[in-house]
Amino acid sequence: MKKLFAMLLAVAMVFSLAACGGNPSGENSQPPVNGGNEESAEPSQAPSEAPSEALPAPGSNPADDIPDTMTSADSKYQVAFITDVGQLKDKSFNQGTFDGVKLYAAANGKSYKYYQPANGDAATDDDRYDAMKAAVEGGAEVVVCAGFMQEAALKKAAAEFPDVPFVFIDGYPIGLDNVAGISFQEEQSGYLAGYAVVKEGYEKLGFTGGGGGQNPACCRFGYGFVQGANDAAKELGKTVDMNYSWQYGANFQASPELQTMMNGWYSNGTEIVFACGGSMFNSVVAAAAANDGLVVGVDVDQSAQSDTVVTSAMKGLAASVQWAVAKVYDGTFSEIGGKGTSLGAKDDAVGLPTATWSLENYTIEEYEAQLADMASDKLVVDSMVAEEDFAKLAATEWSNVALNIIE
Amino acid sequence: MTFLIQQTLIYAIPLMIVALAGVFAERSGIINLALEGIMIFGAFVGVLFVNILQGVPFFHDAFASKSWLTLQGLELLAMLAAAVLGAVFSLLLSFASVNLRADQTIGGTALNLMAPALVLFLIRIIANQNTLGMAEGDAASWFMIKKSTFGIDRKTDLGFLGETFVNKVYLATYVCILLFVVLSILLYKTKFGLRLRSCGENPQAADSLGINVYKMRYAGTTISGALAGMGGFVYALTTANCASTGDVAGFGFLALAVMIFGNWKPLNIAGSALLFGLFKCIAASYDSIDINGDGICMLAKAPISSHVYRMLPYLITLVVLAFTSKKSRAPKAEGIPYDKGQR
Repeated sequence: MKKLFAMLLAVAMVFSLAACGGNPSGENSQPPVNGGNEESAEPSQAPSEAPSEALPAPGSNPADDIPDTMTSADSKYQVAFITDVGQLKDKSFNQGTFDGVKLYAAANGKSYKYYQPANGDAATDDDRYDAMKAAVEGGAEVVVCAGFMQEAALKKAAAEFPDVPFVFIDGYPIGLDNVAGISFQEEQSGYLAGYAVVKEGYEKLGFTGGGGGQNPACCRFGYGFVQGANDAAKELGKTVDMNYSWQYGANFQASPELQTMMNGWYSNGTEIVFACGGSMFNSVVAAAAANDGLVVGVDVDQSAQSDTVVTSAMKGLAASVQWAVAKVYDGTFSEIGGKGTSLGAKDDAVGLPTATWSLENYTIEEYEAQLADMASDKLVVDSMVAEEDFAKLAATEWSNVALNIIE
Repeated sequence: MTFLIQQTLIYAIPLMIVALAGVFAERSGIINLALEGIMIFGAFVGVLFVNILQGVPFFHDAFASKSWLTLQGLELLAMLAAAVLGAVFSLLLSFASVNLRADQTIGGTALNLMAPALVLFLIRIIANQNTLGMAEGDAASWFMIKKSTFGIDRKTDLGFLGETFVNKVYLATYVCILLFVVLSILLYKTKFGLRLRSCGENPQAADSLGINVYKMRYAGTTISGALAGMGGFVYALTTANCASTGDVAGFGFLALAVMIFGNWKPLNIAGSALLFGLFKCIAASYDSIDINGDGICMLAKAPISSHVYRMLPYLITLVVLAFTSKKSRAPKAEGIPYDKGQR
């Protein structure tokens, strides 16, 4: 019996060796066949997207029709995308940014590719740098990097490849001329959402954010949300309650703990929670659906993902990526390179999805009037930096919001 | 109080059923370290099953027309699928440890390492992302039993028992409790149970009385795999919005701890799973627990740091273990491959 087994093993080993040896030659014969395929024609065939539309009509996202991966004929990829932590298809930040890459590439016949830094959520600066390097060596003419955590890796990669323009989404200038920092005035978007839900009639709100209070974008969203709620409550002459927490979202992932906390909020009377961060959304929505609660989405219009989503505090990720990448190809990158550009209501880069929201008492006219006020600086929303988050929230006297900070 | 009981059950039920899975394997003499891996695999199978069947017109229409019996049937079918595939997955462990007499700890570890990798690989192929969720909607709106399920108005008060055990619950919870009771009786009050346990204590003696030790060990591990696979899906359904990510937050290992904590006895296991679930729930939602229903959350008002609450589940486990571990007694022959010639 044992002898037979040993012999079987030996035979298996010989076969696997043969298989190993056999593979490369097989692969060598493959590429010409593949290269012959006219896959390079694919991007130009994809439907072109009107780049002027800042916040694309949700529900029928044209970027979803463009494949996430494509094969270019010369195996060079002109527009590269480096993801933030979390997954590519997070239906939020990464996906929204990548949509911009895909839309631009499809409309202009460019090849594109996404690179996910190794080690997932535990990616280090070296992993991100490796991804950027791989992108440049893969023929990238412009590299779009998502998320402020890319800073250290960007400094290294951008200095090493000074001829390659980098677009740093959710970023800021880092002292290199080939890096364009693009940030958003999330506080405006959060303000609009907070104002809208209080005007709609909700009195018990919640905010749960990702990044553990260290993510500048999430902090701005939250700060704006409180300001909007406060102003709306003041106008209505009432006081609203708000739970505010960074707990259980440090890595933007869904977790049973977050779901339990949200269940607690909802069953204690919280009516609507602003779920501010990537995949965490799942935990909040699960709790909301169980308790007939409601949710405010973030970054992109998330209403298609769940019936509990009333509206979403959006920022024009896809539009700004297209805008920035276009500047690379029409030779005007120097206008934004080395600088930080902050996009807000003026640039049509923040807002709520009026077509899909389920607000009834708060009208689109009121919303548009407010957005116009913001764009013309008649209405100024205070911004903040991440470090002062809790301190600033706690120190501010909120006239009409009873803020309950959960540490 | 209602909230506390419901949330405790949500944590405790997967722990309980998976710990019982561990008992069946270990009582038959096989250390099943692979509980975590089998859970991950079971969760994936169940979620995939739901995801696919959601697209079938029959179930799709059932959701649209709110025919909740069909949806509960879908939930049960998914649990069954997870259990069957979990059992198949555990056959790898049985084969390695019964037929090949391999080291069971290493076999289990291998499955634990393989499951998340395999599941993530499959999810990437199927969905091109790192998470496989439901095709549409939320777990709660498809599968949760609520007042509206029976056409009762949301504001009607069903009384304490009704609110706690009929409103906002999953059928899976009760199926698991029922299975737990039935299988505990099977283990202690039937011929099969006695034979199974004897193989974990003294397989040579059992063999001398005509019991096929190999068969018994296969049976134990297969039941174990089925329960763990089902537990994995129940975990995904009730705490992860019916999504599979190649991860069950260490619940498989927690279940192992609960099993040892419960001294390999079903009743103790149920107790320790509930204890752990209760404190886990307090840790996550201390700010909104209202014990006596007067609208005041005492725990949040108490001058205690929130970190203390988050430490509680682990502190309590340590304290209880310190007092009970002396009496802890593992099945005598567990982990030792059965060799007929040995005495």
